[in-house]
Amino acid sequence: MKRLASTLMLFCLALPFNAQAADLILAQAANFMPVMKEIIPAFERETGLTVQATYTSTGKLYGQIINGAPFDVFLSADTKRPELLFDEGLSMTPFVYAKGSVVLWSKNKALCDADWKNVLKKTSIEKIALANPETAAYGTVAHMTLKEEKLWDAIQPKVVIGQTISQVFQFTVSGAADVGFCAYSYMFSKEAEKGCYAMVDTAPPVIQKACILKRTQHLENAKKFVAFLSSPTAVALKKKYGYK
Amino acid sequence: MNWEPLYLSIKLALFTMLLMPCIAFPPAYFLAFSKRRGKCLLDAFVTLPMVIPPTVLGFGLLVVMAPSGVVGSLWEGATGERLIFSFSGILMASLVFNLPFAVQPLRASFEKIDKRLLDSAAVLGLSPLQTFYRVIIPNCLSGIAASAILVFAHSLGEFGVILMVGGSIPGQTQVASIAIFEAVEALRFTDAVYMSAALVPVSFVFLIFINILNGKQHR
Repeated sequence: MKRLASTLMLFCLALPFNAQAADLILAQAANFMPVMKEIIPAFERETGLTVQATYTSTGKLYGQIINGAPFDVFLSADTKRPELLFDEGLSMTPFVYAKGSVVLWSKNKALCDADWKNVLKKTSIEKIALANPETAAYGTVAHMTLKEEKLWDAIQPKVVIGQTISQVFQFTVSGAADVGFCAYSYMFSKEAEKGCYAMVDTAPPVIQKACILKRTQHLENAKKFVAFLSSPTAVALKKKYGYK
Repeated sequence: MNWEPLYLSIKLALFTMLLMPCIAFPPAYFLAFSKRRGKCLLDAFVTLPMVIPPTVLGFGLLVVMAPSGVVGSLWEGATGERLIFSFSGILMASLVFNLPFAVQPLRASFEKIDKRLLDSAAVLGLSPLQTFYRVIIPNCLSGIAASAILVFAHSLGEFGVILMVGGSIPGQTQVASIAIFEAVEALRFTDAVYMSAALVPVSFVFLIFINILNGKQHR
C-alpha cells in the first residue's frame, strides 16, 4: 500500500507541466475585465496566439511590475502609473486606450435616483463601498470627487474599502454594502441589471493609459496586441461596455 | 505612523481568546468523552475551518453575515446594527476560523486525563458539570493555555478571512495584517516595515506572558 502511494506520488511529480506557455501576458486593471474577457478571445482567434491576463488594481500591478513581474503589456486605469514607469525607463511610451466612468450602483432599487448625490443622502444607507484610493484608480477618482463636492467628511464613517473595483462590485452585489462606487463597464452584466446606477457625473472621465514593458520577451506579440486595441473589433467592444 | 491597526489586531486576538472557551469547550468535551457514532461527523465539521481556504471560508461568511444572510439578518434584528464590516463581524469570523485551533489541543488534554479521577468524582457524587469545573479544568490547565496561545497567535495573523468580510475600516476592521498588506501594495514600505517589526515583539512578549502564567499555575 505504501509502495503504491509513493509510486503514485512520484508519478504525479513526473507528469509534464502541461500548462501551455502564454505568448503574451497582460497586466490589466480590474475595471476593464468585462471588455478584456471578450477582446482576448477575439485577438486569439485572429492571431492564433495565447494570451494570459492578471486582473487586479492598478497600484498592485504597478508594484508588481517595478519588482520585476513578467508582464508584457500594462493596461492601467490611470495615466500616472504608466507615465511613472516610462520615466523610470521600464516601459515604452504610454498611450490612452480607454476612457471610463465612475457610477454609484446599488442592488436595492429603492435607492435609485438619477442624481448620485441624492442617493448618498438617503438615510437607509449604512455602508458605502469604495475601491482603495491609494491603489485603485476608480477609488482615487471617486474619493477625489467626494472631497471636491465636500461630501467626504459626511460619508466617511460609512465607507468600506474594497481592494479592487471588482471587490467593490462584489461587496455591493452581495448586499453587504448598500451602494458602491463601481466602474461603468460592470453595469452591463446580468447582476448589475438587477439593481440600478447613477452616473457620478461630476467626476472627471477616468483616462486609462497602457504601455509595453521594456522587459517583455514577446515584443512582436505585444505590438500586435496594442495595434489590435484600436482595431474596429476592439473599439466596438469598448463601446459596448461604455468606454469612450 | 498610525498604530491603530496594531491595537485593533491585539484587541481582536484578545477578544477571540476570551470568548473562545464558550464555543470550544462543548465540542472538545463531547469529542473527548462521548462514545457516540456521530463523533467523527462533529470532528470533521469542527476541523473544517482549518482545511478549507480562508477565501472560501470568508466568502461563506460574507454570504451569511450580509444583511440578507441568515446570521446577518438575525444580528440586525437583535442589535439594530449591521454585522458585516464591523468589529463584531470580524470577531465572529475569527471565532469560526479559530475553532479547530482551540478544540484540538483541548480535546487532546481532556483525553489524557486519568479516567480513574473521573470515576472517583462520579463515585463521590459530583455531577458531570461539577466534575468538569472541579476535576477536568484544573487538570487540563496546560492544554487550555496551549489552546489559548494558539488561538491568540493565529488570530493576530489572520488575513484572508478578514480581507473578505472586513472592508478595511480604520479603527474597526483594519487590523495590522490588512494595514501591512495595503501599505505594501501602495508601496509605503517604511510603514509596512515599522508595523511588521512591531508585530513580532508584541507577539513574542504575549507568548512569554502566557507561558509564565501557565508555569505559575503548575507550581
